[in-house]
Amino acid sequence: MAFPLQTFFRELGYALLEHQGEGNFVLLSDPPGWFSELWGAARCGDAKIPLAEKSPFLENFLAEAQSCWGSPQTGECRSEVWIESTPAGREIPLQATALHAEGKQLLALRSPDREYGEQVQVLQTARNALLEHEKLQREIQKKEILLHCIIHDLSQPLSAMRGSFDCLATETTSEQGQKFIALGKLATQQQESMIRQILQVFAADLQATMEVEKATNHAPDLLACAQEAMTSLSPAFEAKRVNLILDPQIDQQASWHVQGEESRLRRVFTNLLENALRFSLPGGNVTVGLQADGEFRKAYVDDEGPGLPADMRPAQMFGLFSKGKEGGGKAGLGLYFCRTTVERWGGSINCTSLPEIGSRFWFRLPRAAAPVDSAAPGHKHALAVPDGKLAVQGRRAMRILFADDQEDIRTLTKYQLERSGHHVHAVPNGREALSALLHEHFDVVLLDEEMPVMGGVQAAHAIREGEARLGSRAFLIALTGNNTEEDVARLRGEGFDAVLGKPFRLEGLTDKLGTAGGTRALTSMPQKPSLAISAGIDDLLARIGGDKKLLHQMIQTFLRDTPKRLTSLQRALQRKDAAEIASLAHALKGSLGIFLAQHAHDRAQELEELARKSELSGAKLAFAALKEEIAKLEANLRGYAMQTQGERRASAANKAKRSPGKRKK
Amino acid sequence: MGKTSLVRRYVESIYSDTYHTTIGVKISKKVVQVKNSEVNLVLWDLYGEDDFQRMHWNHLQGAFGYLLVADGTRPATLDKALALEQKARSEVGALPFVFVVNKCDLVNDWQFDPALELQLIAKHWTILRTSAKTGEGVEEAFSQLTGKMLG
Repeated sequence: MAFPLQTFFRELGYALLEHQGEGNFVLLSDPPGWFSELWGAARCGDAKIPLAEKSPFLENFLAEAQSCWGSPQTGECRSEVWIESTPAGREIPLQATALHAEGKQLLALRSPDREYGEQVQVLQTARNALLEHEKLQREIQKKEILLHCIIHDLSQPLSAMRGSFDCLATETTSEQGQKFIALGKLATQQQESMIRQILQVFAADLQATMEVEKATNHAPDLLACAQEAMTSLSPAFEAKRVNLILDPQIDQQASWHVQGEESRLRRVFTNLLENALRFSLPGGNVTVGLQADGEFRKAYVDDEGPGLPADMRPAQMFGLFSKGKEGGGKAGLGLYFCRTTVERWGGSINCTSLPEIGSRFWFRLPRAAAPVDSAAPGHKHALAVPDGKLAVQGRRAMRILFADDQEDIRTLTKYQLERSGHHVHAVPNGREALSALLHEHFDVVLLDEEMPVMGGVQAAHAIREGEARLGSRAFLIALTGNNTEEDVARLRGEGFDAVLGKPFRLEGLTDKLGTAGGTRALTSMPQKPSLAISAGIDDLLARIGGDKKLLHQMIQTFLRDTPKRLTSLQRALQRKDAAEIASLAHALKGSLGIFLAQHAHDRAQELEELARKSELSGAKLAFAALKEEIAKLEANLRGYAMQTQGERRASAANKAKRSPGKRKK
Repeated sequence: MGKTSLVRRYVESIYSDTYHTTIGVKISKKVVQVKNSEVNLVLWDLYGEDDFQRMHWNHLQGAFGYLLVADGTRPATLDKALALEQKARSEVGALPFVFVVNKCDLVNDWQFDPALELQLIAKHWTILRTSAKTGEGVEEAFSQLTGKMLG
């Protein structure tokens, strides 16, 4: 029986050995060829072979094998694969299994050549794919940066041109001169619009490649978006005397929520309406309609123009740089944006000629459940106030600090703002802006995002940090050539109150200043803190024996320390340091608990729990939610602090009035 | 990241541009002279830990020290290296190690954050930039580790 068993093991590729102690082995069968290749010729029953000495891996494995051999239970202990090299340099993968039988310490060695090869191939393919993916991501990032630089450089001269035209318009009185100025302004507007469109299209494309679409959670209202786009374009339709109609057949009571994201959906409608307007004649109609379409919701824009060009397939209209109807479109980006956006949300888009009437452009999107917060009465289909700005009557002169590295922009903007009655101090970079703020108070600080020495974002951080200590707040406006919705959101997250795209119009700037005036009015008369926080503060005040001074100190400490803690948290998240995240979230949770800020407290707890479980994939979202809640709390605390400060001052003034004798002579 | 390439460059003075993934453990030996005495180095080339593979920490049992390798052009590997160092400390205690940031020949793609480097230096880490391709820093990295291991 011994002979066939030995052959069996050899044929299977095993070298079967018995441990003789101290890392020495005896072969129980003639070994396969690889054994001799590695450790010299050997046969069954040969004298002790010092395998542990020959192979450091086996020497290490013996410690594990000993525990198996020493165990009263039968069982095996298997090593990982390791690679031994022959004197000729050939690499041989090996795997060892230790087992004991009939009191013998057995070791089976085998070379898993084929499986190993397959495993390496699979892993190699996976890792190559990962490397390729990372490489592509880097390329995309580089392109995005390049694109933003180009856009920035293209936008800069436009600011100067537009400003010059505005100034000229105030100096020139001749009718002919005004006509030329109007032409020049129109050209700058067109160029600006093209730059913005390019940015939006490419930014959307890049975004789509970089990340999984997150927008589908928002479930915007198709009808509300259509109405908002119609409202914003109504002046253009009126100017061309084209009637813009919302189809009366639309069921206003139905749910028109779809998958997508609100601002982009509005942009889709805007692009389709602009396209329809371009081909409409005065007196014509453009109709916007909606229809239920099974699991989808369909929207269409009908025009009474010349219909689709005969030489183009409808789908071609939505291609990149496709100019659509003859002599019509601008850069050929608007409809392309519509297609990529709608398709990303799982919808489709197309167009068709309406015989003897014009054309219909339509798209459909998967329907979605209404978001919880849209069910509030009065919300449904209400038209939004454009841009959410505060209307400010009776604007007053402001002290404005303006930082921009371009001298022409500085000169022009200063000139324009001073003509509007404001006091302007212009500086070339963020550092000089900070220095100016040390010596003078400004109502509004305008910061260009990209400047040498110190950029706008860095300066904004420093300003906000200083304010947290002082308890005051300036209105910060970012000026940027990168003016997509994502950029606006990003800059708001960096501490800016408003964002103005470059090149900017004086009216745009004046509007933002109007908002600043509104906000300033609010800061001098702080909003009453929300009921929840007010209750929380009252409770806290009761707990500290009604000591308002101490409460004020606690609030100031919180406002001073929290941004630093959030920065540390962000860094820990970047480092994926779960222990640090948990510890920082825990500390924040404690501070938030003091102010009874339940939502923020819960978010901090959520983050802490995720970190403790090392589930860092969800931690970023939890952190974003925490930041949002903390921002609300900070605003409320700041308001409370200023309100109580105002009350203290008023009380001090009253006391002084009541005690004239104490006045200094 | 180039762990196998670093070992091959050090032991055999050769480099291949083709990337070969490592499964399992490769063991190499090199005899080096340290202050007139011979030191026998046994180098365990452990496969990289990523989404596809997990490390077996028992390989570090009995080790006298280790090179912690990251790819200077891939920030994710730098993060991973920091996590591995923490894990190694908790598994086998504080062993001597040298942090090697490889591929320093790829200057244009270099993404090793100088601020992070300063932080690590402040923690008394020994950090070396290497290139298995050109050989830069490789001898130095192993030599520094040997010195640390010998105390």
